Amino acid sequence: MNSPDQKWPRLVSAARRAEDVRDETAPYGFSTRVAALAFARERTGVSLLERFAWRALCVAGLLAVLSTAANYSLFSSAVGEDDTLTDDNTVSALLDFSS
Amino acid sequence: MSEDESFDLVGCLARVRERDQAAAKALVDHLYPLVIRIIRAHLPRRVAEEDLAQDIFLKMFTRLEQYQGAVPFPHWVSRIAVTTCIDQLRAQKRRPEFRWADLSENEADVLDAVLTNENDVEAGDALAARELVHKLLDQLKPDDRMVVQLLDLEQKPIAEISGITGWSQSLVKVRAFRARRKLQKLFKELERKERP
Repeated sequence: MNSPDQKWPRLVSAARRAEDVRDETAPYGFSTRVAALAFARERTGVSLLERFAWRALCVAGLLAVLSTAANYSLFSSAVGEDDTLTDDNTVSALLDFSS
Repeated sequence: MSEDESFDLVGCLARVRERDQAAAKALVDHLYPLVIRIIRAHLPRRVAEEDLAQDIFLKMFTRLEQYQGAVPFPHWVSRIAVTTCIDQLRAQKRRPEFRWADLSENEADVLDAVLTNENDVEAGDALAARELVHKLLDQLKPDDRMVVQLLDLEQKPIAEISGITGWSQSLVKVRAFRARRKLQKLFKELERKERP
């Protein structure tokens, strides 16, 4: 009976004698396909980013315009009230040096 | 890697970074033998070698900006190839049980010779021995398999394996020890079952 430690080395040593005669050159068209895929993939990443960035900017602008229009009356009245700060406003009370 | 020593790798990489498709094609052609050798040595079952090679090259192009030149470029690509093979092996969760009945006549003869030590493995059975080794390696965990493959079959030094895999030298030794112990256990089981 073989020593258990020697079985694997013997088998591996026999396996190493097997020559691999398979061709190691790239199959026809492989490098062209891979190079094209690599650059196409990069381009897709960039164009997706560009497209989503522009779309996001348009949506954000539209929302800003809509919200301004919807609340226009509130804004205009608030601007009108700015000049008539009352005494119960803490900030105006603190800044009122005349009294 | 191809034997073409005149290949200007640095210049080619620079042109690839400038998105020169012809340079990218030349780089793939130049590195294909290196990559295919790694794939064939560690090819997971049921995975086409060309598909795996394509994955490896696409990863190489995607990560090209990360390459700082700290190691030679072929070593860097080897590492991508090895880790991709390990990932593929990990993805195949189930490992088939190793049975005498699944071996070819030649493989069974080789295993018999190894187990009984009555005959030496004949030179003509080298191919069967290699197939048998791969079937036995299929029984190991992917990381352990990789270490034994590189250490015993390809006879690479531990320092080089550490460089290729990114594992520390002590981890490589631990994995080799664990894998060989598992193989010994497997041989004992096969001895117990005996050839049908």
